[in-house]
Amino acid sequence: MILTPQMWARMVALVLVTALLQVTFFARVEVFGTSPDGAVLIVMALGLLGGSVSGAVTGFSVGLLVDCLLMQTLGAFAAALMAVGYVAGRYRESVGRPTRGAIPLLGAGFTLLGTLAFVAIQVGTGIDADVSALVIRDAVVKTILGALLALPLFVLVKLVIRPAIVEDRPGGRRPVAPRTADSRG
Amino acid sequence: MYRKQVRRRRAVLLLLVVASLTLLSLYFREGDGGPMHRMQRGVAAVLGPFAEGADRALKPARDLVNWFDETFEARGENESLQEEVTDLRDQLAEAQTKAAAAGELGRLAELTGGGLVPPGREAVSARVVGRSPTVWYSTVTIDKGSSAGVRVDDPVIAADGLAGKITATTQGTAQVTLITDPQSSVTGRVLPEGAIGVVEPNVGDPEDLFLNFVQSGEEIAEGQNVVTAGFTGGSLESLFPPGIPIGRVTDASLEEQQAYQRVQMRAYADLRDMQFVQVLAETRGDG
Repeated sequence: MILTPQMWARMVALVLVTALLQVTFFARVEVFGTSPDGAVLIVMALGLLGGSVSGAVTGFSVGLLVDCLLMQTLGAFAAALMAVGYVAGRYRESVGRPTRGAIPLLGAGFTLLGTLAFVAIQVGTGIDADVSALVIRDAVVKTILGALLALPLFVLVKLVIRPAIVEDRPGGRRPVAPRTADSRG
Repeated sequence: MYRKQVRRRRAVLLLLVVASLTLLSLYFREGDGGPMHRMQRGVAAVLGPFAEGADRALKPARDLVNWFDETFEARGENESLQEEVTDLRDQLAEAQTKAAAAGELGRLAELTGGGLVPPGREAVSARVVGRSPTVWYSTVTIDKGSSAGVRVDDPVIAADGLAGKITATTQGTAQVTLITDPQSSVTGRVLPEGAIGVVEPNVGDPEDLFLNFVQSGEEIAEGQNVVTAGFTGGSLESLFPPGIPIGRVTDASLEEQQAYQRVQMRAYADLRDMQFVQVLAETRGDG
């Protein structure tokens, strides 16, 4: 990604809006008994478009803001979303930018990854109560919703950060193949 | 160039992992007044108005999505019936509480003036402006904070029953830990007999709760009401006033071999979909 001062401003605004949307919209709509994980999908899109460093940093920032907004364990969402952003970025760097058809599948996969990362952190920090089998249903429904929402959110994020994407600039590198000039320098 | 990129990538990843682990460990180790908590409250206070604005702006969109979901589940047609059931349930809980006047629950109810709001407290209405996006935390953020008299540990009531308690505040917002959160436990009393147990969540299930540690001799039947026990003993006092409806017993299979029974119950309050709550805050001016 090419980060100009204007692009930094856009990224900061995107991070802020993502955290606010996650807390006030995505988490509060109920679809088939659960709520979609919009922040995971936006961070995934940033990783797929900008690479692992952009994905990890924005994921960490969005997660940290969500932790602060909800006043819950500081660092838990930050770590989970950082993992999503980093892995999405590594996917782009090793496989290349995904096709439109692959994005829903990636949306499902990264939603599941985000859920598992959060469960791992939660179990790691200790949990004293009973755990219902419904958490599995919740994860499955979230994953399906992730697949459905991945493409529209990906397109939206792409519109916002388009000027910073190397491949989309005039004379930019395209297409990105595995281990080409993009990854080896 | 490639090696430089890899080194940079690894350095950033390492830095973020270390930052996450440091935040997690410091947050758990320090008290509520520690620097991490203070920083978190500061950020929440700054972003609180934005969250409130976003909440109001996004309400129509949220309502639209939720309408589709509710229509799909045919919940809309039950609304009027549910309201009626809620009214009847509250009347029943109140009547049963009064009927147990000879018992401890009745005495406690008399001590608190017979109402849900105990003396020295007032109900502060608040709007829910944020919700935790995962089932592993059951918390919501409300738009009233310390400037409205809301304090940590104040009980919070939703339209149909007990919602939870305040666990953190900023000047303009507060975090409510719901009774479905893994950290939550509330002493409950089964009406009308008065069996006491501890209401604990079933993580991941937004409606079902467990009433644990009920003496095995107690007879409990499906459909009985569970309300807050609101005990007082010496210097110890429950955070929750007595008689607030918590839920209804859904399964009370008796296991004779165990010293304690575990009763399954369903929360009255719709904790996933509530828009407004009331905080039982200390009356202002009482110190």
